[in-house]
Amino acid sequence: MAVAATHVGGGIADHVHPEPQGFIRRYVFSIDHKIIGIQYLITGFIFLVLAGLLAEVIRTQLMNANGGFVSNNTYNEVYSIHGSAMVWLVVIPLMTGAFGNFVMPLQLGARDVAFPWLNMISFWMFPVAGLMLFSSFLMGAPVAGWTEYPPMSLQGEAGTSMWCAAIFLVGISSTLTGMNFMVTILKMRAPGMTLTRMPLFVWAQLATAPLSMVATTALAGALAALFMERQFGVPFFDPTKGGSPLLWQHMFWFYSHPAVYIMILPAFGMISEILPTFARKPIFGYKMIAFSSVTIALAGFMVWAHHMFTSGLAPFMQLPFMLLTFVIAVPTGVKIFSWITTLWGGKIHFTSAMLFAIGFVVLFALGGITGIFLASVPTDLHLHGTYFVVAHFHYVLVGGSLMGIFAGFYYWFPKMSGRMMNEALGKWHFWLFVAGFNGTFLPMHWLGFEGMPRRVAVYDPQFQFWNRVESVSSYVMTIAILLFFVNILISLRRGKKAGPNPWKARTLEWQIPSPPHYYNFKHVPTVYGLPYDFSEPLPYRGLDDELNDAPAPVPAGAH
Amino acid sequence: MIEKQSSVKGLGPGFWPFTALLSLLAIANIYYWAVTPLSRWMPTAVTVATQIDELFRVFLAVGIALFIFILGYAVFFSIVFRARKDDPPDALGVQIHDNHKLELWWTVLPTIAVILISWVSVRVWFPIQIASAATPAGLVVESIGHQWFYSFRYPGINGEVTGNMHLPDNEPVTLNVTSEDVIHSFWVPAMRLKQDMVPGLVNVMRFTTDRDGRYRIICTEFCGVNHGVMNTQYLVIEPKVAYDAWYHKWQVKNATASNALPQVSSAPVDLSDGSAAAGQVLFSQKCSACHAVGPFSQRIVGPGLKGVLHDPAHPNLLSGKPATPANVADILQHGLQGSYGQMPTQVQNALTDKDIANLVAYLNSLK
Repeated sequence: MAVAATHVGGGIADHVHPEPQGFIRRYVFSIDHKIIGIQYLITGFIFLVLAGLLAEVIRTQLMNANGGFVSNNTYNEVYSIHGSAMVWLVVIPLMTGAFGNFVMPLQLGARDVAFPWLNMISFWMFPVAGLMLFSSFLMGAPVAGWTEYPPMSLQGEAGTSMWCAAIFLVGISSTLTGMNFMVTILKMRAPGMTLTRMPLFVWAQLATAPLSMVATTALAGALAALFMERQFGVPFFDPTKGGSPLLWQHMFWFYSHPAVYIMILPAFGMISEILPTFARKPIFGYKMIAFSSVTIALAGFMVWAHHMFTSGLAPFMQLPFMLLTFVIAVPTGVKIFSWITTLWGGKIHFTSAMLFAIGFVVLFALGGITGIFLASVPTDLHLHGTYFVVAHFHYVLVGGSLMGIFAGFYYWFPKMSGRMMNEALGKWHFWLFVAGFNGTFLPMHWLGFEGMPRRVAVYDPQFQFWNRVESVSSYVMTIAILLFFVNILISLRRGKKAGPNPWKARTLEWQIPSPPHYYNFKHVPTVYGLPYDFSEPLPYRGLDDELNDAPAPVPAGAH
Repeated sequence: MIEKQSSVKGLGPGFWPFTALLSLLAIANIYYWAVTPLSRWMPTAVTVATQIDELFRVFLAVGIALFIFILGYAVFFSIVFRARKDDPPDALGVQIHDNHKLELWWTVLPTIAVILISWVSVRVWFPIQIASAATPAGLVVESIGHQWFYSFRYPGINGEVTGNMHLPDNEPVTLNVTSEDVIHSFWVPAMRLKQDMVPGLVNVMRFTTDRDGRYRIICTEFCGVNHGVMNTQYLVIEPKVAYDAWYHKWQVKNATASNALPQVSSAPVDLSDGSAAAGQVLFSQKCSACHAVGPFSQRIVGPGLKGVLHDPAHPNLLSGKPATPANVADILQHGLQGSYGQMPTQVQNALTDKDIANLVAYLNSLK
């Protein structure tokens, strides 16, 4: 049989279940990683809109030095939910749940993730947690920011306990996804795909997965303790009852610093796929990029107390945390240099995806450079808790992660939907977004230096001019994101048919139809090399039948 | 696969002139920060501020120079190596994978940069945070954060000083900061120093005052609904004579103030004008962690308090006394150690007599 002749991998990996037919099993409680990925994507974008609207409430309030758009208390609720939602309901689920789920098994040559049912359960925890988080507005939302430092969070209204429960739930989802991805990457690669032949996006997910698994459990412990203290009076954090407020900060940042890398490493992976594809040349320094992701992930566990330099650490403890934080600059610098060198000598096609990828490199670099100011104890003593910090983490999380999400979306949308995005709208989206973004967050650097603290509903009138510039710029950013969603809706209906490989990319997901079949690959391919050698034949065997009418794999007997 | 691989002469057209331009910009930037003190934008109130500013200027010089190169090359390569209309559709870039020499360099160079940055950081960090602990304490002042103001304690002045904080110029100072409620922060931007004020913990700031002036004290840790206006007090650094006059004024003013911790008074609380509305707010802040507004049996830590004064099934309080407003006030004042556990005292709960009157009025209104 012809099928058997091209079929090199074989064995258990070719085992296929029949595709479910009912709407519910197919699109709602699906166990297909591609559908789950798209579910994460849609849910994440809905929360992006909600949390983005909250951001506009923040910026509108700050138009005037004495506020007045909403009450101080509402303002505090709004920025707390904005931060929490953006971190836990937007960036982390989009980075791992959406793109990890859709792309990673395809790039591995796998038929699904290792634990498809667990994957479905992980997903469904996420919208539930999201609803819980937003429902806290009904009972008095948390006010102490996404960090919820006690004793302030002990004074919060009932919504703070709801916040604990919601974040706990989404944390379980994230932990399970990390475990699922780790096993998938280590055990389900197509034959011949050694670790050093994996696409860099998969490497990024491999570096992220243990962070999700290990760090999130520390957060779960902290949240459980805060919940118990609030609801049952168990004194973990209240100093008047013998607790320690700093205990929370250690537990929280032991999670939340690695979480910063959960939010950025997958974007590193996306950029490392997009740059070579549109520069038409191999990624520069494959091993260095892969290795630096792992280094960053490991080092990310050893720097959490740099968020606490002014909290009251023993002074000598500041030294190791400061120096270890500086060390992370080395692997990060290596990546940035490798990406820029990938541009060198290329034949660069400026698609929307490529623009966002190049924008990512530049804006993320700026966020990394301001990180040096915050990592060094003496300068951090001045900058901690000011708008400089707000500027820094928005450069990393918006200029970095969100730009990465946009780049990845423009890049993989044809694979997900079978249609192309509108490039003209995409370019408007890019330029408006970059202009609005820099207008919003660049002035925050000097506002922070000159004395504007974060989390304030009203501020000194001397800062009003730049705050107005920021607010107006943030509206430009909102218009840009509106264009993005318009673009999606138009492209879904009227977009040009994409075909299997519109970008002439070389990773496995582009060698099969768009959107891929339920079983991904008719036959699991065999891999012979890295996917980035544009002048060589594709390093795969067993893909001959993917794009023709050859019969789909026969489902195994009824289970 | 048929391909048109591009070939590039040397490092590509215009690489060296452009690199020269970027270097020029970077050097101009470094020169600018070398000659521009940050006191142009913000005065320096203490001696360490100048050292911290020097570190800022090193970071600004190096950081912006680095960014000039990253942005410059990203844009330059994008323009020089863009795909052109007359390229064949399958044109490829230069097929290079890596260059070990180059990669070694850009691992070694950032490592050297990191060592340099570490060295300059530690050089400033060590005297502020470590060596200063071994020097004489100088003038020891305490600052206590409250929702939403700062108070101060000076040796030789009874009780607490409110309003602005005064210090003599050219004086070594040890400032111990703490909080009585939630976490606040003591930041004077002109000092470039900040410490969180953590309840139950004393954090120490050491500095030597330098320039006379009025410098704003700002809270940077979120501390509740009025966090944004916890910035109205000033640190006043002034000549010794003026400081002594201010110090003497407070000594006189606080002559009879007590330094002792507040005590529970033995006199019963006057319950005549309690406000149930104010009591309800207090209840949600101070009581609801342990007491539900529900029937007696709805226990969180202590019993539910709905109808505590109007429950025929429980004519007596847990103290064994009849359920009257005066006896409820007595528990709020003195606490209770009983079968249900520990009810804190008035002082532990930070309740004023007026608070107790309001709470009793509120509890009395629950039927």
